[in-house]
Amino acid sequence: MTAGPFLLLAALCLVVGVAAGARWPRLWLVLVMTGTIAALVAALIMLLGAPDWEWRNQFSVGGEPLHFRLDALSALFLALVGVVGGAGAVYAGGYWPDSHYPASAPRSRTWWAALILSMLAILLSSNGLHFLIAWELFAISAYFLITLDNAQREVRAAGWLYLAVSHAGTVCLFAFFAGLAARTGSWELGPMREQAGLAPFFWLMLMGFGVKAGVFPLHIWLPSAHANAPSHVSAIMSGVAIKMGVYGIIRFSGWLPAPAAAGWVVLGLGAMGALLGIIFAFAQNDFKRLLAYCSVENVGVIMVGLGAALLASAHGGGLWGQLALAGALLHVWNHGLFKSLLFFGAGSVLHATGTREMSRLGGLWRVMPWTAGLFGVGALAVSSLPPLNGFVSEWLVYLGLFDAVTGRGPAAGAAMLAAILLGMAGALALASFLKAGSVIFLGAARTKAAALAHESGWQMRGPMLVLAALCGLIGLAPVIFWPAVARAVGIWLPAWTPAAAPAPLLTLGTVHVVLALLIAVAATWLWHKAHVNGLRRGLTWDCAYEGPAARMQYSGGSFSSTSAQWFSWILRPVLSLRRPRGPFPSAAVRLETFPEAVLERIVAPVGTAVMQISTAVRRLQHGRLQAYILYIVAGLTALSGLVLLGGAR
Amino acid sequence: MNLAIDLIARLAWWLLLAPLLPGVINKVKAWVGGRRGPPVLQLYYDLMRLWQKGVVLSKLASPGFVAGPAVAWVAITAAAMLVPLGPMGAALSFRGDVLLMLYLLALARFCTGWAAMETGSAFEGMGTVREVSYAVLAEAALIAAMLSLSVQTGSVALATMLDPSAGAGAVLLAAGIFTVLLAENCRVPFDDPSTHLELTMIHEAMILDHSGPPLAVILHGASVKLLLFSVLLTEAVLPMGELSPFAKMGALLAGVLTVTISVGLVESLLARFAFRRVPLLLTTAILLCLFALLVAWKGGAV
Amino acid sequence: MSVNLNLLIGLAMGLNLIALGSSRLPALIRTMSLQGVVLGIMPLLMEARFDWQVWLVAFATIGGKGLIIPALLRRAMRAANIQREVDPFIGFVPSLLLGAGGTIAAVALARALPLLPEHAGSLLVPGALASVLTGFILLIGRAKAISQVCGYLILENGIYLFGLLLIHSTPLLVEAGVLLDLTVGVFVIGIIVDRIQRAFDSLDTRKLTVLRE
Repeated sequence: MTAGPFLLLAALCLVVGVAAGARWPRLWLVLVMTGTIAALVAALIMLLGAPDWEWRNQFSVGGEPLHFRLDALSALFLALVGVVGGAGAVYAGGYWPDSHYPASAPRSRTWWAALILSMLAILLSSNGLHFLIAWELFAISAYFLITLDNAQREVRAAGWLYLAVSHAGTVCLFAFFAGLAARTGSWELGPMREQAGLAPFFWLMLMGFGVKAGVFPLHIWLPSAHANAPSHVSAIMSGVAIKMGVYGIIRFSGWLPAPAAAGWVVLGLGAMGALLGIIFAFAQNDFKRLLAYCSVENVGVIMVGLGAALLASAHGGGLWGQLALAGALLHVWNHGLFKSLLFFGAGSVLHATGTREMSRLGGLWRVMPWTAGLFGVGALAVSSLPPLNGFVSEWLVYLGLFDAVTGRGPAAGAAMLAAILLGMAGALALASFLKAGSVIFLGAARTKAAALAHESGWQMRGPMLVLAALCGLIGLAPVIFWPAVARAVGIWLPAWTPAAAPAPLLTLGTVHVVLALLIAVAATWLWHKAHVNGLRRGLTWDCAYEGPAARMQYSGGSFSSTSAQWFSWILRPVLSLRRPRGPFPSAAVRLETFPEAVLERIVAPVGTAVMQISTAVRRLQHGRLQAYILYIVAGLTALSGLVLLGGAR
Repeated sequence: MNLAIDLIARLAWWLLLAPLLPGVINKVKAWVGGRRGPPVLQLYYDLMRLWQKGVVLSKLASPGFVAGPAVAWVAITAAAMLVPLGPMGAALSFRGDVLLMLYLLALARFCTGWAAMETGSAFEGMGTVREVSYAVLAEAALIAAMLSLSVQTGSVALATMLDPSAGAGAVLLAAGIFTVLLAENCRVPFDDPSTHLELTMIHEAMILDHSGPPLAVILHGASVKLLLFSVLLTEAVLPMGELSPFAKMGALLAGVLTVTISVGLVESLLARFAFRRVPLLLTTAILLCLFALLVAWKGGAV
Repeated sequence: MSVNLNLLIGLAMGLNLIALGSSRLPALIRTMSLQGVVLGIMPLLMEARFDWQVWLVAFATIGGKGLIIPALLRRAMRAANIQREVDPFIGFVPSLLLGAGGTIAAVALARALPLLPEHAGSLLVPGALASVLTGFILLIGRAKAISQVCGYLILENGIYLFGLLLIHSTPLLVEAGVLLDLTVGVFVIGIIVDRIQRAFDSLDTRKLTVLRE
């Protein structure tokens, strides 16, 4: 079996889906499901060991003949596109229905199909020019999906920010691909590690794809875009779309010769990004922003794995690099799965209550037990706790780092620091998701909206169930997924031929299964024992206070206050405070927000300065002819002065 | 058959010995304070009593309130099974089990915190926040400590990491792990287990609403965690490589006892720190472990 | 011999960090005096045979840094009724991290320096650099005059460690000079502290900026 027919089917379905989306929702759903499943099957065929699929045609687009290719590395990402693309299409039917959004729901369908199609094209393109075209289509369709709800000012602002930053990245990619074509004499892409002269292009590539991937200082568009987009869009943006940036970085760091500093830079960016990203996540009170910042952290984890692999391949090709890269690639899947799951859960909550502010929620488990449970699974997975999938990939990355340290190679020092930072990031991720889960779902409802919420329909719960099941499956049986990941690692650096699954991975899977069983048994037994002994319901203990109110509960802000104080030097909180005054005080307010610090403190001031300079320069341009003649005379004089001086020398 | 006996012996060590530790600590505290103090076996009596009692559940709590302690207990016990016991070795040893141990402890933290937040009580929120926030720094210290052990031995499996002597950085490492032990187990100077003022507690504040069997499970889990850290500290620092099995067992027991008594002495002689001073102490622990790591790294190279 | 010496220097470096983390003046003074004693023992370890000059240095150091100066400082604190809190400009955690980073950098830097082969394995130079750095952090980052004196003394301990490199050739010269300077300095500060206290009812150096006109 080859992947070709399935890819053709997927492309056809999606093309028709783009056309049919606006008019026929049912047909669209069938088409998108068929397309994504076909893409998934094609990816699985590749990952199970089929030889690389390649297709050339003399038919040319933009003067370049078509050339598509699918190998294990791109198939790994394609599988993720298939799973989340299909799940999101089903979810969108319940979350963004025509009945509520008659104007934007058809647009949502059209651009959804276009987004998946463009991602398919990115993963298949083996020609720089076509890659760029697909990349642009991808950026544009993501923009239209983010701004579906364009009546709101915030959404429009987020969309513009995304578009502007994304294009700044695309400029780098244009320079990258054009430079590559100029150097090699062809737009064809492929392994070119031997041509050492191409090494500087690595940095352009890192900039260009780093923007889309949300690597730490380049992530400025990400929080507002992911928070303001509709949740099915946030899910695919966070779970899959930023992975296209990751794909670019991994793909081209494998194909290009890496400069000497590459591994250090990527590892450093990753470790810092993981820690800083999660620091910002923990401080947020908007749960979708929290999830968005958490994506920055997870991309950091992936970058740590890739950085370790780059270092290993630069310093003698230690096996630890292979482990770390395998961890990073598995984390691409894992993050895609649990982050989509969490965004779907967040969407259900938003759908039911209409607020993204977690301190207005609470006690939702009673009305939304399914969503609460599934969100809990996602929270455990994203905190990389055993026995779920997040732990497996982080464990592989850690193992790579620990091996680098025990090997005492040149990268040992960096690996040490990265491992310690990852440990802190892990503990903060746990804190962040304990905060999100408990403030939203536990305790008592803080507002009426939360009390009157309702469980979402099967159309929304089904995709979440599928994603949660996949999270569990990767956690309990990681060995099944190893060959796929190992093949992708082998594509990245052919010297690392796909090895058998390391024995500890098998043990880890077994331990996870046993652990899951024991947990189930212990929880049931304790629940049973409590019932046997007699169970009585009472008030929550509040220092013997008899009238506890929902507003007295710990809110999101108080949950993160301790660590927000530690990290205030980077978080830069904005505090608005109205103290109660006088004998009959009016309402007092204390509001602490954590804006995007890189954007507000670095990018915005620099932008303002540039604008000011430009405005000052523009004053020279006022339309008075006399002045222009004066400029010309001044310019000529200056030039002749230069010539004279030069001649004298 | 051997496997079953080994497993039973191991479980007996971890589960039956653990409640002794808080008893010893309390005895030491009483002795320093010139009191007679509760019997050493007090926690056993408490656990048995609690196991028989009924449960009062907050009106707001979901089933997670009871499931949380169960999961935490399983996670802590599983983490303990990964720690080698002197001559017995570990129940299961594989490359990277040290990370599994750390993350199982994290799972326990998540579940205890989740159960605490179930009730919507601000006190429990306070305790949870402190617990998870301090864990951020403690986690960094632990990873640094584990890295220094694996640098010394060139291994990433607990059984071999903890086996030989710890070398030059042992004092630094011991001080670092001991500080983390105090923080992770909520002892003075981070938390005062004997106070009854909700505002100043961490662990005790988290379990205010628990009663009956779930409370018993939490208390027992906490004591297993304390034993786990004591064993870890002892084996990381004591050079037990070439001793005979009996001497090893004796050394392990003596080490655990020393650690326990030290905890008791610290609690008697030190007051609880103000919460804003806690990060300083934990940063010190991180630095201690980091320096131990650097000594191990450079020491091996010279 | 060298192992013991290195352990002592390591201890002194640890005391540096403790000094940075101390939030109470008595603790800071105690740390400093302990460091003085540790430093005093070092020359005895370095010189294998009996040499009265070395013993003199050792006793002078232990007596001066370990006993007399701390006693003077404590007396000054009592006499001037100084609050025991250290008033930090740079918080404790940042100064601790700075100090630790400085220590690691000092060790790394010392490897790059062109040292005599006999000093290559020793921690003397890194210890000296780290102490000087700690002294500076204390001088820059603390408000009270007493903690400034402590910072100054720790800085001087660093210079003393450098001086130990020369102990074989000129045992007394460097140390005696420095110690003399310092004793005079402490006496002067003791007197000034007393005067400031009487004039301003406080020992906060921030208030001295009033005098700038």
